[in-house]
Amino acid sequence: MSQDTRDPFTYALSSNSAWAGYKSHQNPDFFPRLASGQSPSILWLGCSDSRCPETTILGLQPGDIFVHRNIANIISPTDINTSAVIEYAVAFLKVKHVVLCGHSACGGAAAALGDARVGGVLDTWLTPLKAVRNAHADELAAIRDDKARAVRIAELNVEAGVKVLMANVVIQDHIKERGLQVHGTLFDIGSGRVRDLGHGTGKPRAAAFGGGGAGDGEVIRGRHATLVFRSEGAGMQAR
Amino acid sequence: MAQEDIKNHLKETHDRVFEHNRSWAAEQAKKDPEFFVKLSAGQTPEYLWIGCSDSRIPAEAITGLEPGEAFVHRNIANLVCNTDLNVMSVINYAVRHLQVKHIVVCGHYGCGGVKAAMTPKDLGLLNPWLRNIRDVYRLHQQELDAIKDEAARYDRLVELNVVEQCRNVIKTAAIQQSYEKNGFPIVHGWVFGFQDGLLKDLKVDHESMLHDIQKIYNLTDTA
Ligand SMILES: [Zn+2]
Ligand SMILES: [Zn+2]
Repeated sequence: MSQDTRDPFTYALSSNSAWAGYKSHQNPDFFPRLASGQSPSILWLGCSDSRCPETTILGLQPGDIFVHRNIANIISPTDINTSAVIEYAVAFLKVKHVVLCGHSACGGAAAALGDARVGGVLDTWLTPLKAVRNAHADELAAIRDDKARAVRIAELNVEAGVKVLMANVVIQDHIKERGLQVHGTLFDIGSGRVRDLGHGTGKPRAAAFGGGGAGDGEVIRGRHATLVFRSEGAGMQAR
Repeated sequence: MAQEDIKNHLKETHDRVFEHNRSWAAEQAKKDPEFFVKLSAGQTPEYLWIGCSDSRIPAEAITGLEPGEAFVHRNIANLVCNTDLNVMSVINYAVRHLQVKHIVVCGHYGCGGVKAAMTPKDLGLLNPWLRNIRDVYRLHQQELDAIKDEAARYDRLVELNVVEQCRNVIKTAAIQQSYEKNGFPIVHGWVFGFQDGLLKDLKVDHESMLHDIQKIYNLTDTA
């Protein structure tokens, strides 16, 4: 029987039990080690969009990435939810990298580009993104292609979000004390690739993710891909 | 695990669980040249997943759901607070715009957030956020105090916290109105265990929970 005809709820639970059995068969230490604690190197701040599963697209494993995902990856300085995540990840878990990731074809970005009310609490939540749109109204209006305009506002949104992150006092302390790094990136759904936008603590870099060799930067190995953090920016390459 | 199960699993989930960036992208495109084109066109996830930020619980990996199948919000200790615009926006968008069919609140045993909340210590910025967990404890103090084993008491608090957050999801106007009109979404409470990697369904009874909640929190405009 094809899994497509099964109820997705039942599918998820049965798939989980198959996954758990497979993982422990492959490596009997896998779950005991997970149970002993977490020490992720990366805090990922991304969009809730179902097409951007961070651990999956980075080829990493459970235990590698601490995650917060919200509508349109908006970083609002007074949002207690995101602030608590940052505090916990940076001050307690001492992650080495904070990665803010936007994406192409973001529904939140599209909503901010439009003039219609979205409804409920969403208009309030999207206020920072609306502000980005207004600050760059001419540039955005000059872009004829709808998809390209959505990508541009997503980039500007990440740039604005990184500024908020760099102004966060906990992040500032840990940049000073132990060289915490902050990166702004964009996930292109059309190709499945992540691009470094060069904001934050790294210097801008023209090349897309996956460019050079491993170099001498810090390396985080996933099952299928390797994330490389250099002083001049982050990169990713497939094994 | 039986050899047969492993074979079935590999057949079902190879390409599903440990995808990756570039080789992943190439593989997806090869398998289905339209994959990214379709993804770019939009999302129609059946699930909203509200889980903990903990690095050990990537929703998609542990459930085998593909990109495009689960809309995801993760915060410290999978909390749903009614004044938090962040999570409220996620629920609103997922229910009213994406029309998800299931909402899963997923906690996990050994949650650092839950543990931190029960530690008698001033945690600064984390105080207001973690306070919600202390409130859950207070609601179930009798039951929890009676559990002598500390680890077992935390495990139970993790479960009770998930159930309480399910209740908070059902208190929203978005869920109540959509359920009345469409018969969905259904709210589920799950807990992930690191010891075995399995998800435990707490068997939250959506219908009766909704019924109880609406005695006080009815937002359907029908009374
Ligand atoms: Zn998005
Ligand atoms: Zn947790």
